[in-house]
Amino acid sequence: MRKITIDPITRLEGHGKINIFLNDAGGVENVYFAIPELRGFEKFCEGRPADQVPQIVSRICGV
Amino acid sequence: MSKLKLASYWGSACGGCDVAILDIHEKIVDLANAADIVFWPIAVDFKYSDLEAYEDGYIDVCLFHGAVRNSENEHIAKLLRQKSKVMVAFGACAITGGIPGLANFKKKEDIFARAYFDTPSTQNKGKVLPTTVLQMPEGEIDIPEFYKDVKCLADVIDVEFYMPGCPPTSEQIWNVVLAIVTGQLPPVGSFVGCEDRALCNTCGRTKTDKKVKKFYRPHEILVDPDSCLLEQGLVCMGPVTRAGCGNQCTGANTPCSGCYGPLSGVVDVGAKFIGALASVVDTDSPEEADKIISDVLDPAGTFYRYALPGSLLRRAK
Repeated sequence: MRKITIDPITRLEGHGKINIFLNDAGGVENVYFAIPELRGFEKFCEGRPADQVPQIVSRICGV
Repeated sequence: MSKLKLASYWGSACGGCDVAILDIHEKIVDLANAADIVFWPIAVDFKYSDLEAYEDGYIDVCLFHGAVRNSENEHIAKLLRQKSKVMVAFGACAITGGIPGLANFKKKEDIFARAYFDTPSTQNKGKVLPTTVLQMPEGEIDIPEFYKDVKCLADVIDVEFYMPGCPPTSEQIWNVVLAIVTGQLPPVGSFVGCEDRALCNTCGRTKTDKKVKKFYRPHEILVDPDSCLLEQGLVCMGPVTRAGCGNQCTGANTPCSGCYGPLSGVVDVGAKFIGALASVVDTDSPEEADKIISDVLDPAGTFYRYALPGSLLRRAK
């Protein structure tokens, strides 16, 4: 089975890649979209004062 | 002489630095006249395979935003280093870890548990965690390794220049672009697009005696628009933060949170700021000083907001 990898996906905010698997006939067998990043805002915002959170989470996406 | 070749890339970042570059607005046309952009994922469709195919040193200047959070960030940083003559650590994340660096207060296992098991919007009954290589029926797929710690760019590659800010202001970016295009960059190792003095030096607020009896959270006080925010009892990082942002926050009655990073020579911004705070507390009694300082909530998260991985502390245990 042949694999085509599109890496990185461009012109958007964030990291992403696409793996396309082709069968023997050259048709698409399956496609996997991968997000190869995590920063952990869910965790590191815990314990921060509420008034600081808007300044922190505005850095989830700056686009 | 051939046209300059520029690259811009993000590691662990939010894209705000890229948008700050785009916020030079119509001057982007002048930039395009002076330089070819040969890699810039947010705006231009080049792939990693294109980057790999470039000769070593093909790129004149690379602006690298974002921290080093995972193995992909490190791999591409090293690849860009190999392909670039000049590397600029661009923005707080690349220089000192930035907001993603707050993750160094937490453990990798706890971040994974929160993100993949415990968030209210997550359904993961099988308790599946990401693995770097995954065998699917059609073949193998892979993702980068999430490191134990967030690192700064200079922890993994050599860096020529540092451009601070979260994000750097567009005015400063244009100044630095002009310096690059005209070949007037300062000596290697310099900070660019900023000043080598504290934010307080560029702040127009009236400063008198710093005698603080109580620290306030923003909602607990009506801010006087003319006098020093720190003197009013707001936790303002101005005394230890590099100037160059145009005083955007203090100009809007908001204390400086330190995004332009520590001044030259400061090894640990948190320790430096604790010293600054101690000097403004108005008491001779250690007990009262303790009480006044205890008004400051989450001191570590506040003082190291943008700089934990780049500080002496580096991470919490």
